[in-house]
Amino acid sequence: MLVEQVINGVVLGSMYALIAQGYTLVFGVLDKLNFAHGEIFMLGGFICLASIALGASLPISILVTAIVSGVLGLMVEFVGFRKFHSPDAHITAALSSFAIGLVIIDLSQKVWGAEPVALTLPGTLQTATISIAGLTVVVLRLTILVISLLLMLVLYLVVTKTSLGRRIRAVAESPTKAALFGINVTRVNQQVFFIASAMAGLAGLALAVRTGYASTDVGFTFGLKALAIMAIGGMGDLRGALIGGLLVGVLEALAFQWDLGQLADVFVWLFMIAILLVRPAGLFGTLVSKEIRA
Amino acid sequence: MIQDYVVFVGVNIVLAWSVYVVLLAGSLSFANGGFMAIGAYVSGVLTVKFGVPLVFATTIAGVVAGAIGVLVGFPALRTRGIYLMLVTVGIAVSVKAVIESIDYVGGIQGFGGMVGTTEWHVVALVVLVGCGLWFLSKSPLQRILDAVREDELVAASLGINPVYVKLVCFGAGAFLAAVAGGFYAHYLIHVTPDQFGIVLSVFIVLYAVLGGTNNMWGPPIGATIMTLIPEFVRSLESWRPAAFGIIILGLLLIRPDGLLAFRHVTTRAKGVLATSLSDGAKPD
Repeated sequence: MLVEQVINGVVLGSMYALIAQGYTLVFGVLDKLNFAHGEIFMLGGFICLASIALGASLPISILVTAIVSGVLGLMVEFVGFRKFHSPDAHITAALSSFAIGLVIIDLSQKVWGAEPVALTLPGTLQTATISIAGLTVVVLRLTILVISLLLMLVLYLVVTKTSLGRRIRAVAESPTKAALFGINVTRVNQQVFFIASAMAGLAGLALAVRTGYASTDVGFTFGLKALAIMAIGGMGDLRGALIGGLLVGVLEALAFQWDLGQLADVFVWLFMIAILLVRPAGLFGTLVSKEIRA
Repeated sequence: MIQDYVVFVGVNIVLAWSVYVVLLAGSLSFANGGFMAIGAYVSGVLTVKFGVPLVFATTIAGVVAGAIGVLVGFPALRTRGIYLMLVTVGIAVSVKAVIESIDYVGGIQGFGGMVGTTEWHVVALVVLVGCGLWFLSKSPLQRILDAVREDELVAASLGINPVYVKLVCFGAGAFLAAVAGGFYAHYLIHVTPDQFGIVLSVFIVLYAVLGGTNNMWGPPIGATIMTLIPEFVRSLESWRPAAFGIIILGLLLIRPDGLLAFRHVTTRAKGVLATSLSDGAKPD
């Protein structure tokens, strides 16, 4: 039972980590918080729902979700961040993306209603279980875990090994110097937003498939939690987001196990405050570069 | 009807000022919704269960919230920038959850029975706080705050204790938010923890930022406009949140520094510095 809870926690944590990595990517490059990120995550489930309703198969709807969320991310960048590029504007950018989030929530409630919408897949995909060494695990959860870990691995490789990743890291280091070296900073920002939002959309899809319904509330609850997770891991650090996500996921699952369920939502914030008091830049973060830039 | 407007606008003005006071020392607080909740509940318990007079009860609530603010702020102000922002978000979320779990004040159902706020209480509060801030802006303390906000290291080298200054501002912001929350609760008669969620805190910051935070007149303008806009878009009824969001976006895009952003010497000097160093330049 305990082991199963831990596994559930790891699966939940991998979804947290997917969202938190999106936050952290955007934060690393722009130094700004994207409050609309959670809403794109929320929309991921609905986009999948809509494309399945239109008759697409699951792989195609996954692809559609990634692309549509990515394009939405580009819109968020254009409306909420393009104009607020100066280092002083991080409050304004946070608030403008929050306003975009409000619009997204309201519009999706217009389309799908305020109540959660059931998302059932054909076949036994959502219920099939497998027994490993006496443990019963839902196959879907394992699939989600594997896919999210793979996605994060791909992201890590892209950031560290490819020329796109080199450009991203250059802009994260210093936009001015990157521009002097001929990097199109706006283009890099767009690419980062596309990647981050596509990942958020996929995480939203995973959540909707796992729980069996898509809901307009999850953007706020999960989105804020992922924000805390990013701070726990250290902002702008992909490893930190992964480890923070897994840690919080497991601890939350354990809290449910020990009947502390209603405290789980607060717990992540108290954990974040505790971590930040000991390490003011999170587990993996460094204060110096970010602090001077801010 | 008109009484509603006066009370809500007035309460929101004081709330916007509570964020402004914290921003004076350069930190941004998303915790003021939480402090407002503390104010509402503490004053409510005092008047309903102990029969304390309203004004007295709100003052006590303000002092309690201010003390909690200083207690929480002391460790929280160790963190900076966006980390501090997130810590204050955490404080707001935790306050709400704690109130929800206390049965004495009704838990999730909320707490009721508070009466007594008239529009004159709120008007008097706004005038009082406004006068206080106006005297502050003319006093030497304002220059200390400016110094801490613009450059902590320089301020520290001039013999100012930045942590102390920030802490006082954080506590003062908590006090103002709690007093506003007290009067608000006694006007609404019944409050639930849900009303004081993180969205409220974000909106309070929005009031201040939309109005402009480099002088004391910006936040009240922002609060007034943001409180009245939802009434104007009432004809759009079902599109209200979306229209509201779009209006906020428009205001931010047109006037990113706030509606009432006078150029102060400090900001102009900063602008010159910024252009000469170019945007992202920073010492490595």
